[in-house]
Amino acid sequence: MEKYLKISPLKILEKSSHKELGKGNLGVLISRAGVGKTSCLIHVALDRLFRKGKIVHVSLKDTPEKVISYYNVICLDVFKSLDMEDEQEVRTFLDKNRIILAYLKESFELDRLSKNLKNLTEDINFKPDTLIIDGFDFEESDSNAFEEFKEMAKEFQIEIWFSALSHRHINKVNERGIPFPCSNFDDLFNLIIQLQPTQEGLFLKLLKDNEVKLTSDITVRLDPNNFFVIEQ
Amino acid sequence: MISDTKYLRNIGISAHIDSGKTTLTERILFYTKKIFAVHEVRGKDGVGAKMDSMELEKERGITISSAATYCEWNGYNINIIDTPGHVDFTIEVERALRVLDGSILVLCAVGGVQSQSITVDRQMNRNKVPRVAFINKCDRSGSDPYRVVDQLRKRLNHNAVLMQTPIGLEGNFSGVIDLIGMKAVYFEEPFGEKVKTEEIPPSLLDEAMNKREELLDAASMFSDKLMEAILEDSVTEELIHEAVRKGTISRELTPVFIGSAYKNIGIQPLLDSVINYLPSPVDIENKALDMDQEEKEVSLFSKPDAPLVALAFKLEVSPYGQLTYLRIYQGSIKKGDNLVNTRNKNKIKVGRLVRMHADEMEEISKANDGDIIALFGVDCFSGDTFTDGSINYAMTSMLVPEPVISLTISPKDSKSNNNVAKALNRFIREDPTFRSWVDEESGQTIISGMGELHLEIYVERMKREFGAEVETGIPQVAYREAISRMAEFNYVHKKQTGGAGQYGRVAGFMDPLDEGDYEFVNQIKGGVIPTEFVPAVDKGFKSCLKKGILIGYPVLKVRITVNDGQYHPVDSSEKAFTQAAVGAFKQAYLKAKPVILEPIMKVSVECPSEFQGNVMASINQRRGMITSSAEDGVFTTVEAEVPLAEMFGYATALRSLTQGKAEFTMEFSKYLKVPKSVEEELISKHKER
Repeated sequence: MEKYLKISPLKILEKSSHKELGKGNLGVLISRAGVGKTSCLIHVALDRLFRKGKIVHVSLKDTPEKVISYYNVICLDVFKSLDMEDEQEVRTFLDKNRIILAYLKESFELDRLSKNLKNLTEDINFKPDTLIIDGFDFEESDSNAFEEFKEMAKEFQIEIWFSALSHRHINKVNERGIPFPCSNFDDLFNLIIQLQPTQEGLFLKLLKDNEVKLTSDITVRLDPNNFFVIEQ
Repeated sequence: MISDTKYLRNIGISAHIDSGKTTLTERILFYTKKIFAVHEVRGKDGVGAKMDSMELEKERGITISSAATYCEWNGYNINIIDTPGHVDFTIEVERALRVLDGSILVLCAVGGVQSQSITVDRQMNRNKVPRVAFINKCDRSGSDPYRVVDQLRKRLNHNAVLMQTPIGLEGNFSGVIDLIGMKAVYFEEPFGEKVKTEEIPPSLLDEAMNKREELLDAASMFSDKLMEAILEDSVTEELIHEAVRKGTISRELTPVFIGSAYKNIGIQPLLDSVINYLPSPVDIENKALDMDQEEKEVSLFSKPDAPLVALAFKLEVSPYGQLTYLRIYQGSIKKGDNLVNTRNKNKIKVGRLVRMHADEMEEISKANDGDIIALFGVDCFSGDTFTDGSINYAMTSMLVPEPVISLTISPKDSKSNNNVAKALNRFIREDPTFRSWVDEESGQTIISGMGELHLEIYVERMKREFGAEVETGIPQVAYREAISRMAEFNYVHKKQTGGAGQYGRVAGFMDPLDEGDYEFVNQIKGGVIPTEFVPAVDKGFKSCLKKGILIGYPVLKVRITVNDGQYHPVDSSEKAFTQAAVGAFKQAYLKAKPVILEPIMKVSVECPSEFQGNVMASINQRRGMITSSAEDGVFTTVEAEVPLAEMFGYATALRSLTQGKAEFTMEFSKYLKVPKSVEEELISKHKER
């Protein structure tokens, strides 16, 4: 399983101040539509799973079947690339440590999520380390919502990773260089990472690292086919 | 009969038990002149309602088997599949829903949306069946159709809109107000045959106006023309019908009608709604699997001149012989045609072609796409697909899962003994996942299927339909054994007890196989085992796989490689090498660290969201692994993988945990190694035996 950590996109955090997001904290992966937010977020989940953590993947747009199929496709790439022998065992291990919660037809409410996390913890003794939230609408949200997420992260002692959708036609960034739609509440996030397709290739760029002022670009290059880190 | 498919409706009438569904069907047949008198379900006249053709249904006043019937209304042909209303008989419901294009969801004006309505509605959702709702029993004390509409919205997530308002309620219920025509509608003559329209009573006008506004608001979401007409105050009845039809077929709108089947109120407008709002076969896209292209999904075309594709969705024993109900998806069938069964390529010649009307029938010469008909004397299983032979399509997958649970049955008396065989023969034809055989060792009859409830239903049917009472044993899980590592063998079978001796040596190794159940690899060089004896070696190993040494269940996923051996020019024989292989297997098997595998079921539980925690806990207690939970506002679906051995009695447990508001389905997923503690228990039980 250590093999995976060498190709994980979250290798970028090795260059960050805390090397990880950390319990009680919020992180966000921001990119334009169609670049691969969900795939990249699944790698964030795999990174945690391969570190023997537990994951709750919250999907606000896709059914569990679809999310599982994303995981399966990405895992297949990982298994092939790393030439894993005990594939079945690893799959079972990943399945055991991941639960998908889907909120369809705009049924998502923070209280429901909180209740569901409580159910997982109390009723089936599944205590997640990381919450992955895919499809949350940053544009329709205000800082209150993220403050509540932060509270939740502290209460359940989890880290929460979000995906956020940016737009090609909105170039607005705040004074700290954080693009829309995260620019209004970047103070509530510990880590902000941008997935950037450029002519030179696909990059992950660290835009915010806790309270550290970033003086130079912290980036890693990704293979656009599978989002594995390409050593430079 | 009307031949244009556009003028055809294939509908079901679905509801929970005792919501008056059978009475409603009876009235529909009466108004469409298919019958000339009406009877009660639990009829004092001893005749019973028309659609209840089975003994049990007559006795309980419920409908278990899906009898099909047809009728005509205003120039349209309607096939009615009477779907079961009891939650336990879901196999029948699912099968009936497969062939429907639309449905009437019957609700009780007093009881409202009950847990079984939720179940039935979810089944229709899964099968993407558009529906209109009918709130029945408005004449009963405590009836409140408005409350039921509210429940339809809140509990079933329907965009429900009233098409009518009641004139009076309970004992005073006398008619309905049509919110499109804005007329009061009354039903006269002894059985409501005469529909009379009048002006709306002034005291009810305001309420009718308000509800019409709601209707127009809801319908206008599906038609820009209607939206414009509302703004310009030029709304026509046609525009409303068109918009409601569009919303209904897309399953984004549920028009709600009200009435009392028992009091003969509101049935004719409901029949109009079937014509106006439910889809014809041409409005629905149906898919088949092309067997020549690895079951690739292909679209079917509702045209009479297209190659025939028809699904046998129900078999029934009738007084006239075996009846096979068919839904024609494309093409046509006429007397004398040759049909090909996709499953076994058997050809059949169409003899008698009939339309069924519960227990009676009408002979026809031809039926087209979209139609539901019955054939006599066709040897097939339920779920088989028939074509004209020019294509190789199947409506359902040919991959039938292996049964995962078995039960011994023994007839209680000699009469039952005779009937059990008849019943089993019938059930095997109806349901490919149901099997039956006689155990060679014990001589006991064993039935096997896909779950506890699955087998319980058949035991109940044996009793009810065939008069065969049986005692059942404890359900047995279909465990399997498999090896976990490579082990070598080198075994000599030698016997010299006078006469011709027996000699054979077999050497090689066994190792776990990733895919497939058994593989025999012949690596023998130099003829150390003569070629003619190699199949005997293979046969010997195969015979050992039927019963593993650990707990006596079949052995899976094993590869045997034979790379050495020895023979004797006189004493070697096929028998000797078969025995040598058996000895070699026994020699290596335990060294290969066998493990016990158990069937793991993919379980899906649907429940109101407030029960999510309870449901998860119940799965966790059963060694289950929860994979996901999906909410859609009102309901949550929890998906999990659970060992079958832990699922016994789950239906009852789930009912009590969720006040009967949850339901679950399960299907076989895979075999997995049992935990150590379970393994020890199983081995010890096996040793005791």
